[in-house]
Amino acid sequence: MPYFQTSEKFEEVLGGFFKLMGETPVIADKLLKSKLIIRFRYTDPDLVMVIDCSGDKIDVRPNDTDTKAIVEMSMSSDIAHKFWFGKINLTKALTRREMIAKGPIPKVLKLLPAIKPSYNMYPKYLDENGYEQYNILKAYKPVAPA
Amino acid sequence: MLPEFFEFHNPTKVVYETGVATDLKPELDIIGIEKYFIVSDKPIADLGLVRKVEDGLVESGFIVTGKYTEVTQDADLEGVKRCAGQIKASGAQGIIAIGGGSVIDTAKAANILFSKGGDLVEDYSGAQTLTSRLNPLIVIPTTAGTGSEVTMVSMVYDRDNKEKLAFVDKYLLPDVAVLDPEMTLSLPPKLTASTGMDALTHSMEAFVGTAASPISDAFAYCAIELIIKNLVAAVQNGDDVEARGAMLIGSCMAGISFTHSMVGCVHGMAHATGALYRVPHGVANGIYLPYGLEYNFEEIYEKLAKLASPMGIDASGKDDKFLARAVIEKVFEVRKELNKLDALPLRLRDIGIPKDGLEAIAEGAINDGTSFYNPREMEEETLLPYIQKAY
Repeated sequence: MPYFQTSEKFEEVLGGFFKLMGETPVIADKLLKSKLIIRFRYTDPDLVMVIDCSGDKIDVRPNDTDTKAIVEMSMSSDIAHKFWFGKINLTKALTRREMIAKGPIPKVLKLLPAIKPSYNMYPKYLDENGYEQYNILKAYKPVAPA
Repeated sequence: MLPEFFEFHNPTKVVYETGVATDLKPELDIIGIEKYFIVSDKPIADLGLVRKVEDGLVESGFIVTGKYTEVTQDADLEGVKRCAGQIKASGAQGIIAIGGGSVIDTAKAANILFSKGGDLVEDYSGAQTLTSRLNPLIVIPTTAGTGSEVTMVSMVYDRDNKEKLAFVDKYLLPDVAVLDPEMTLSLPPKLTASTGMDALTHSMEAFVGTAASPISDAFAYCAIELIIKNLVAAVQNGDDVEARGAMLIGSCMAGISFTHSMVGCVHGMAHATGALYRVPHGVANGIYLPYGLEYNFEEIYEKLAKLASPMGIDASGKDDKFLARAVIEKVFEVRKELNKLDALPLRLRDIGIPKDGLEAIAEGAINDGTSFYNPREMEEETLLPYIQKAY
């Protein structure tokens, strides 16, 4: 069973976290410097999310399929969720096609050091915003659909 | 300690023999097609190496449908598109690439367009975007450095947008890598030295990197031994077929190693230096390698010590820290010998890097994707002193 049962819940949790990252200078400054527009395509449950770093603040846009992205990352929602705990072996994810990256890979790799602080932020964010049940560092209990 | 995960995938057939580049029939018969297009560059064509391979193909009954010998120093997007167009128009069924990294990268990327059509950047740039095999690609390296004949990567420069595009896919792995020392005999001493240091850096960074596995270690270990024992000889005497052959095999094994286990801060510093000051990649790696190993010392010394034996260092009764320092000292020695032969600069100042540019190099290095795989966390303030040492 996937960690998230509905697209709406996944959007609420992940979208909120992306917004938090956008308001955290140690991460946001470097993301803005990249000027990247990244589209994430998640499956199971499905969700499209655009992170636009091309302006003077980070814009998170769920369900944006129109904007021309520079980089497009495709993965399951479970892989995405685990990624933000720092629990994904990127080499493994890419070689086994658990993640597909379209666009200038060096630009994406350059962002990895910048987002490292987020790995500690994510579990804390989940705990502080009523999403403790999704914190896989604690005993994870799947949430049944409403 | 075993890695949590690793994958080893190396379907490229490797053939080694002096003169084998003119006798490809056994390999091509297995592939089962007749019409090949040759991709190369002007210097290689001017040296007669393209003609040599072409004559061998024709004598064996294969058809050479055309040649593209305009690959530039950096494989560039427009060149790749032109090359792919010519391959397609010629009616070829497969490609033979003869050259160094840029030629091989051009051939790999052109093969995507030749095989699949579409828009190279929009449809295929990135990682794992291909879903099926490409047309056959045979690679004959004329340098011993990049290892591109056995890697799943093609780097292409987009001049309009001033950025390097990466294509990373298992389907980019060539079908056959032909290692023929005769094809590298004409490589000048400076290029032999810098490409050789590139191969040494690939193997050493792969061996101590965070994504290393027992299998990538085996390839890196043998590569290091071959390169350490033969690089100076190949630079000293370009006609030394034995040394040239060992360097080709070493570079190939280093390529197999690092395409699986990645590289680290030495490449990070070299990429930053190359981007800022257009320094050739092998030269920059040659300058930074010992300093990068020193930077990582506390994290890697136990593993680095294992390289004492293949590097010809007497390991009996010595502790790991002593041996690891001796390994780094050996790298310094090899560089010095190459420098004495006027084949490799030792310091950043020797290649015109300004002292006030070092901070920018440090900043570029820590933001390079390779920092993700470096054994020690890369921070500007901790890395800068090592770049200053290299200055």
